[in-house]
Amino acid sequence: MNRILTIVAREYLERVRSKSFAIGTVLGPALMSLLLVVPLLTADRGGDDARTVAVIDQTGIVRPALAEVLAENGSKGLTIEPLAVGVGGLDEAVESLKSRINDGSAHSGLVIPADFVQSGRASFYNNSVGAIVLRDERLKPALDRILREERFRRSQVADSLMAFLTGRVELGSIAVTAKGGEEEQDEAVTFGMAMVLIMIIYMMVLMYGAHTLTAVIEEKGSRMVEVLLASVSPGDLMLGKVIGIGLAGLTQFAIWAIAFFTLSQRGVAIGEFSLDVGFLTPVILVSFVMFFLLGFFLYATLYAGIGAMCNSVQDSQQFQFPLMMGLIIPMLLMQAVMRAPNSTLATVLSLVPLFSPVLMFMRVCMETPPLWQIALSWALMGVAIWLSARAAGKLFRLGILMYGQAPTWATLIRALRS
Amino acid sequence: MPASTPSLPAIGAPLLTLERVCKSYGDKRAVSEISLEVPRGSIYGILGPNGSGKTTTIRSIMSIILPDSGTIRLAGRPLDPKLRDHIGYLPEERGLYRKMKCLDQLVFLARLKGVPRAEARRRALGWLVRLGLGDYADRKVDNLSKGMQQKIQFAATFISEPDLVILDEVFSGLDPLNIELLRDMIVEQKSRGTTILFSTHMLAEAERICDAICLIEGGEKILDGSLAEVREAFPLRAVRVAWEGEVSPPADLPGVTQQEFQDGSWRFLLEDGADPRALLPRLLAAGPLTLFAANRPTLSEIFLTAVRRRRLEVAA
Repeated sequence: MNRILTIVAREYLERVRSKSFAIGTVLGPALMSLLLVVPLLTADRGGDDARTVAVIDQTGIVRPALAEVLAENGSKGLTIEPLAVGVGGLDEAVESLKSRINDGSAHSGLVIPADFVQSGRASFYNNSVGAIVLRDERLKPALDRILREERFRRSQVADSLMAFLTGRVELGSIAVTAKGGEEEQDEAVTFGMAMVLIMIIYMMVLMYGAHTLTAVIEEKGSRMVEVLLASVSPGDLMLGKVIGIGLAGLTQFAIWAIAFFTLSQRGVAIGEFSLDVGFLTPVILVSFVMFFLLGFFLYATLYAGIGAMCNSVQDSQQFQFPLMMGLIIPMLLMQAVMRAPNSTLATVLSLVPLFSPVLMFMRVCMETPPLWQIALSWALMGVAIWLSARAAGKLFRLGILMYGQAPTWATLIRALRS
Repeated sequence: MPASTPSLPAIGAPLLTLERVCKSYGDKRAVSEISLEVPRGSIYGILGPNGSGKTTTIRSIMSIILPDSGTIRLAGRPLDPKLRDHIGYLPEERGLYRKMKCLDQLVFLARLKGVPRAEARRRALGWLVRLGLGDYADRKVDNLSKGMQQKIQFAATFISEPDLVILDEVFSGLDPLNIELLRDMIVEQKSRGTTILFSTHMLAEAERICDAICLIEGGEKILDGSLAEVREAFPLRAVRVAWEGEVSPPADLPGVTQQEFQDGSWRFLLEDGADPRALLPRLLAAGPLTLFAANRPTLSEIFLTAVRRRRLEVAA
């Protein structure tokens, strides 16, 4: 036990004292906020890209209304330009529209036929795939509204009645607390909190889990493994390293968490983000800690085992692939699990140990599943950790003798069987 | 020794015994049926050419690899991980944490052998001062020359004051000064009662300090025993001969198994029981003889003879 602690202490101190730890602690949040803030800041500015939409309007009412509605919706940079139908008729006008699109003087074009108000049909001319965004997000909603209002007007519906008929539902959310109380709730914030917690688990697993791989390879590179194995067993050595690296990761997260809370206490707005502590029920808190730790240990031991077999990070790439899949697949399935957290698909996948840290925790956040399922996922992860730690210990013993030769899947499997 | 590590009985069975230890890597037999006994307080050499199975034998003793069969005992007890605290080990691939300070490094390695922190620190400082590295205690290993790093590695091996010290390919990669230093350290440790086991392919170096040896080749033991016993088993004679001027030795000298020219004289190795004086008439006839001296064969001559005989036996 003492020996493991000695190894833990060394591993931890070396990491925490290193320059890269300090740099990572400062740069990590900076990068994260860039990732959060840049899309927020740029999302609304898409319309700033100056574009001209040439409009052939045969109704005579749609084009002016369109310019008005678009301006009202904040579509800056979008110019609606009338294209008159000359003596050559509609066909000639459409031809000139096409040539304007091709010579670039217009981004795209709309042709509103004379029977637009009756048929609700119009055509959108374009030559770029990206124009679909403009069509669906800007033009169609605006045309929808123009069509609706014009039909009301023609049916001689009074303005006040029109506003009444087109009114929208405002659905307020009220969270029912465990004690039967009520609380107003902003799903966006709650959802944001859940996503942040999931991302924290994901980062811990991805960043620090993978650290064990490089740590083990470095240890082999510095030829220390053999010296150490003269004093401790391979399993203890690995356990010590994994715990040390894990603690270093926890330290970094603790620094971030403290900084975050202190800043938000002092009223420093962090993005559009506000804290909703009410969301953190005991089940979610306990689950977070468990999935955070179990997820880290599972991936860390798997990565350590791979590291033990390899002499360089390049060697390890082929073996890292299945682990990367274990991290990527949950990301792909997130949408599906979010929509139906208790579907059979979500239940089964979230019990797969490699996916549990993200998927099961997400289910806990979205719609708490039966407790036995949560407990089962912990148990399964525990078993997986135990197995992978044993395998890693075995590979460790074998891997030390493999200086100089690149490992293959065959040697890996043979090593595990022995 | 801290309470957690039981001390070894001070007398009785040989400190280390190997019985029919075998280890294969896949189809390749690295060590087959090696048995040996390392007497207490001795300097014991496992000798043999590169690839003969020395490192595999040593790694088996350290439980770094697990032998396929055979038993290894320390002071009569089957080897288990707890007993490893009694063994200091310096592998052939000598490593140090490059980013760690020298003092911390030594303390860390001593702690891993169960030495309490304060004691580990005291000993580490003592070793650094002794090796002339007192000023480097707080410097990172990266800042040390290779020779200095080797000194740190020696200190790390001895710092836990083990009963048995195992050194793999002990002299390889060392500069002459450090070879001298290490040889002195080994002899000094022996005088404190420590048993030293080392492997090397440098037989001349081993001959200078070993009390007992085991010669292995191709994973098999060729012979073992104290240096005196080994010499007795091979009553070979060697003769050093020189002539005035350039004289080539006569062909088919009776009883000569091996001859070589070095440092201005010829050296003939004779087969067992051959009388060196029988050579004299032919040598005198060959030219003006200036040197004729009979002496003991070197360890490497014994080794080559033993290997040759064994191959003949196997072929027969």
